[in-house]
Amino acid sequence: MTTPLTLAPGRGPDGAARLAVGGEIDMSNAGRLAEALDSRPGPLVVDLTEVEYLDSAGLSVLFAHAERLELVVPPLLEPVLTVSGLAALATVHRSGVRDGPQG
Amino acid sequence: MERSGPPGDGVGAQVFASDPEVGADLARVDWAATPLGPPEEWPQSLRTAVSILLSSRFPMWMAWGEELTFFCNGAYRRDTLGRKYPWALGRPASEVWAEIWGDIGPRIEAVLGTGRATWDEGLLLFLERSGYTEETYHTFSYSPLRDDTGDVVGMLCVVSEETERVIGERRMATLRDLGSDPSVIRTEQEVLAFADRQLSRNPQDLPFTLTYLFDGDDARLAGASGVTPGTPVAPRVLPVGGSRTGDESGDEGVWPVAALAEGEARLVPLTGAPFDDLPGGGRSEPPVEALVVPLLQQGSAPYGFLVAGLNRYRALDDRYRGFVELAAGHIASGIGSARSYEAQQRRAEELAELDRAKTTFFSNVSHELRTPLTLIMGPVEELRTRLADAGDDVRTELDAIHRNGLRLGKLVNTLLDFSRIEAGRMQARYEPVELGAVTAELASVFRSAVERAGLTFDVDCPALDEPVHVDRTMWEKVILNLLSNALKFTFEGTVRVTVRRSGPHAVVTVADTGTGVPEAEMPRLFERFHRIENARSRSNEGSGIGLALVRELVGLHGGTIDAESAEGKGTVFTVRVPFGTAHLPEGSVVSEPAAARASATAGPYVHEALRWLPVGAAEGDGPGEAAAAPLGSDAGPTRSARVMVADDNADMREYLTRILTAGGYEVTAVTDGVEALDAARRRTPDLVVSDVMMPRLDGLELVTRLRGDSRTASVPVLLLSARAGQEASIEGLRAGADDYLVKPFAAAELLARVRANVELARLRGHHLRWRTALVDSLQEAFFVCDESGAVVEINTAFTDILGYGPEDLPYAPAHPWWPDAVTDPGAHAQVGEAFAGLLVNPRGSYTVPVTRRDGRRRWVAVNYNKAEDPDTGRRVTVGTFRDVTAEHYAVQRETALAALSTSLSRASSMPEALSGALDQLRSLWRADVVLAAVFDGDDTPALTATGPDLRWEDLPEARRERLDALRGRPPLTVVTEDSGAGVLLEHPQGPLTLWVDLGGNRPFTSEDRLLLSLLSGHLAQGLVRAHQIDQQREAAIALQRAILGPARLPDGFAVRYEPASRPLEVGGDWYDTVTLPDGRIGIVVGDCVGRGLEAASVMGQLRSACRALLLQDPSPGRALEALDQFAAGVAGALCTTVFCGVLDPATGELTYSSAGHPPGILVHRDGTVRLLEEGRALPLAVRPGRTRPEATCSLPARATLLLYTDGLVERRRLPLSTGIAQAGDAVQEGRDMPVEDLAGAVMARLEPDGGYDDDVALLLYRHPAPLDITFPAESSQLAPVRRALRSWLARCELPPNAVQNVLVAVGEACANAIEHGHRHAPGNDVRLRAVALVDTLRVTVADSGRWKDPQPGADTHRGRGMSLMRAMMQHVTVSPGPSGTTVDMQMRID
Repeated sequence: MTTPLTLAPGRGPDGAARLAVGGEIDMSNAGRLAEALDSRPGPLVVDLTEVEYLDSAGLSVLFAHAERLELVVPPLLEPVLTVSGLAALATVHRSGVRDGPQG
Repeated sequence: MERSGPPGDGVGAQVFASDPEVGADLARVDWAATPLGPPEEWPQSLRTAVSILLSSRFPMWMAWGEELTFFCNGAYRRDTLGRKYPWALGRPASEVWAEIWGDIGPRIEAVLGTGRATWDEGLLLFLERSGYTEETYHTFSYSPLRDDTGDVVGMLCVVSEETERVIGERRMATLRDLGSDPSVIRTEQEVLAFADRQLSRNPQDLPFTLTYLFDGDDARLAGASGVTPGTPVAPRVLPVGGSRTGDESGDEGVWPVAALAEGEARLVPLTGAPFDDLPGGGRSEPPVEALVVPLLQQGSAPYGFLVAGLNRYRALDDRYRGFVELAAGHIASGIGSARSYEAQQRRAEELAELDRAKTTFFSNVSHELRTPLTLIMGPVEELRTRLADAGDDVRTELDAIHRNGLRLGKLVNTLLDFSRIEAGRMQARYEPVELGAVTAELASVFRSAVERAGLTFDVDCPALDEPVHVDRTMWEKVILNLLSNALKFTFEGTVRVTVRRSGPHAVVTVADTGTGVPEAEMPRLFERFHRIENARSRSNEGSGIGLALVRELVGLHGGTIDAESAEGKGTVFTVRVPFGTAHLPEGSVVSEPAAARASATAGPYVHEALRWLPVGAAEGDGPGEAAAAPLGSDAGPTRSARVMVADDNADMREYLTRILTAGGYEVTAVTDGVEALDAARRRTPDLVVSDVMMPRLDGLELVTRLRGDSRTASVPVLLLSARAGQEASIEGLRAGADDYLVKPFAAAELLARVRANVELARLRGHHLRWRTALVDSLQEAFFVCDESGAVVEINTAFTDILGYGPEDLPYAPAHPWWPDAVTDPGAHAQVGEAFAGLLVNPRGSYTVPVTRRDGRRRWVAVNYNKAEDPDTGRRVTVGTFRDVTAEHYAVQRETALAALSTSLSRASSMPEALSGALDQLRSLWRADVVLAAVFDGDDTPALTATGPDLRWEDLPEARRERLDALRGRPPLTVVTEDSGAGVLLEHPQGPLTLWVDLGGNRPFTSEDRLLLSLLSGHLAQGLVRAHQIDQQREAAIALQRAILGPARLPDGFAVRYEPASRPLEVGGDWYDTVTLPDGRIGIVVGDCVGRGLEAASVMGQLRSACRALLLQDPSPGRALEALDQFAAGVAGALCTTVFCGVLDPATGELTYSSAGHPPGILVHRDGTVRLLEEGRALPLAVRPGRTRPEATCSLPARATLLLYTDGLVERRRLPLSTGIAQAGDAVQEGRDMPVEDLAGAVMARLEPDGGYDDDVALLLYRHPAPLDITFPAESSQLAPVRRALRSWLARCELPPNAVQNVLVAVGEACANAIEHGHRHAPGNDVRLRAVALVDTLRVTVADSGRWKDPQPGADTHRGRGMSLMRAMMQHVTVSPGPSGTTVDMQMRID
């Protein structure tokens, strides 16, 4: 039984490439996230609002693309991103704050 | 009872195998006909007891079973049972000892009733074992015997027969009393009255006594005890020889007088008319026999005879006969003393008469002598003048004739003086003189002689202010005799003469520094013909008349003479003469002094004195010739005495032998001191005549050695020496010789001295012999120690007990019977300490171990007193001791058996019993270590030791072999080896070999062996008992576990069960959990009335019933209602209290109902306590049929539920609420403990001092129950695991962010575990366990792989995983192990 994970590619209101991720990310499905990221070169907004669980396997995938990613993160995941240091590499937005891309 | 044929085989024979003889007789008993049944069916305890009995060398008997069936061993048969053997075996004890059952029955009853041992010392019992009623004494102990279940079913008696000792002491006391006070006894009558009084004090051994003395043709009754004189049995006169019949009494023939007159003893049966009314001597029955023994007199017909009525309860053995003979001997000796005293009195009177006759005779003769003497002396004077120029030979002979003529003249004159005085015909002429001048003049006559003798002559005679009236001739004799005497006995120093006035007297003293006069001789100093024997003097010449004459002469002057003397210091004679004339007869006083004239008296005195001096001693009469004269005629012993002659000179030896043999002595001749000593020890002579100078051992040393040995100490010794000097003789006398004779000597003198010494020794020896006989006949050992503690005298009993005889006396400390300091330092020190006390304390007693000469250990009880040796005046210690070995070991055995029994009865398991017993053995023997190996069939035997944690493998090879080898020995037979002892005994799990290691500290004696054998028997029995208890307990525990189940508690629960009754560990309380079909959990805690096995069986039924009811209908109320009905039908179930609940572990919802049970306690996570007091109704079966209420309660997260029985919280004199509050506190305190630990903490916290006194059951649950998931190491498992964890965390009511942190941290740990699982052992499981304590969350993840240190690069994200775990949780530890890695994580929660 695979961990439930939904990957919804799309464009944001500003037209920027966007990937909405939902469910839980662990070593059993981090590969699928990696494939999704690999198939979307260039700057990418990854919306993790619907993610309920993210472990180091998922973080590793995000680290690999950190420089081009804008992450939209729910409060639940904030401690993980902060502790892992990913928040310092990638652009991180708090989910629910619907403002435009920063700087 | 019939005895079956040949000895049985099989078990029966083995039981009796320890003693082939008694065992065979025991085997012949038809046991099936006794209440004990055939030996094959005997319990182990009886078999053990019989083995111990038979293997012991101590007299023992035992009784077993309802009829107290009798057994005994060989030693008992020998000492006590007598003719009752083998009849007694297998019979009821009351039949065997019917005659004394009144005495011993109650004692046996007491042992059986109380289980406590009895102890009797020297108890009098009248036994029927020798064909007559016998007076016997026994020291014995009855101890209880127990069967396999520990009940007292018999008794064992260890007994020492003390008959000989008690009776011996009684007889000894009589003999001692007979000899107690000989000094005040004078007449024959007094002697016999005294003897009667003493004999009457021992009516047991002497029911009556009669003392007859021969008097011509009759025997007169002279003494009686126990019967009245003149009665038919005690006629006052008996004819001797039966020639006279029909005399006044008509009692001829009552006693065998004729035989007794011949000196023969007779045993007389007391049958017939004269003996009809004999007294019983304090006993119910009169005596049936009398022993009649002669009162023997040395070398003559008996004095008479003693009739001694005999104790009918004792056989007349050698000892009894010897006692009567000794008593008679003493009476005879008393009669002898009394008669000889009377004879002496008569003799003294005769002597006085003889003395008077002699004086008269001498005076008559002297008159006749004077004429021829004068006719000799005149021509001799003339010849001396005429032959002045003749040859020396002629002159010398003439001088000798002249000198002896003078001496004879002097003697004759003195005797004449005496006869004159005696007859009152002394013609005195008292004239006034200036006494100083007269005395000084007389003294000057002696000056040259005194000075030639090398003495200082000090004459201090000033003129007195008044004249003294003296007869000059008499006064000359007074002064000259005193001076002559002084010179004769003074060898160095001074002779001093003084004259003084003292009141109405003129006082003249003549003092010397001579040998002095022994104190004993002082009263007889002035007696006529008395000579001081053995005094050292310049000459043995003398008639013993000089001083007697002086006293008479002084008396004629109205004066007195006194002497003061100290031996070795000198003598002072003081003459007091009154001034004036009033004291003098009128006609003999003249007023004018006669003209001064030269004294004719002085010449012979001076001549004689000069002859004593060495310069003049050359010719003529030798000392032997002179001394022999007064003694020569009456030599010859009264009976043939044994004289031993020791001289290295063969001629001398033959000469002495000839003289002495001719004198009637039995002579043994030896050549030196060593031979003399040996011969004297072999057969003590009456006198030893020894030369001083001998090879090997000289005479002086011989004397010393003889004096040092108690057997020869009193033998008189006469030393012979060629050394003439006085110093030599003093040396000899100092060494202890009795007399000293200088060679050459006359035969007559030797014979006289020998005779005198033999006689003297005989007089001295009477008391000594009596004392020796008395001391030797003591049953107690007797000894005398000198000041240094050396034992110098012992008796026969001493030698019997210790094996050391008088031949090696003295025994200097440390004595050879002290226990060896090297092999037994403890005992050695004990004796040393006691001995130190003996040296300093005036009296005391102690009991110590000693080593017999043969190496055997004895225990003796010593009593001692300080005394003064009357001969030497030195302080000595006189002691006696008794062999108390049997008593000592009996007490030791009782104590040890009691201690072991106590230890065994306290043990609640077999290992405890064994280890406790080993400790007992160790302390009993002060052993280094005690080992017990049980050969239970495993490769290595199970070892129990007193040392800490010893294992079989740790033992030295030699010790293991020794323990192993013991298995080949017969059981309970002790084997001793150098450093200890071993024994084999039966153990329920196989043979047990036991080793007591003394480490060489002390020897293991035969007594120790007996004790170890006894204790081993007890131990074997105890182990069987403990084994049965063990088995019962194991069964009970298995049962309890089975009914207490469940084998596996649901998670989150902890339970405890503590029964009050040991050792079975079962009780009426219970707890139960049952998982119901809907996932809920039934919880039951109950408490049946009562304790132990009975309550447990009730509990088991209720528990099963309740469980079944809950499974059928998960409603606590209805379950209890049904249980009411059930309990009503179970005996003992009434009033059982039960708490019954159903818990939903997912929600914490608890439905419950209580049947009179104490309320459950719920402790919230904030510490508040709530009691589950609702849903209550009556205890079970009180009102069956009523509806029971139910209550519900929701257990909040991290709350703890405590259910219990009242034993946990009920305390005397305290309300239940106090205990409940304490329980709540205990739970609150354990908030950080898992429930399993908490259960232990609560039990410990509430345990009263001394432990719980009621059964306690306790059940704890903390909500939620821990999460415990095991999953395969696959990544696909992560999501479901996470889901389960999330759900569990929700039940723990944690804040959301905490939940997420835990999820991430646990997720990382699980991911790691899966990775490692894949890498190292694919397909293995990972286990996740999460426990919520009150304030802490704890999660562990365990896998079977090995973690690698986090590495950068490929494993970067794994490194991130670790960081995440550490960041999310407060405490993370990773414990890699050989079988996997465990991650433990903790988080504080509110």
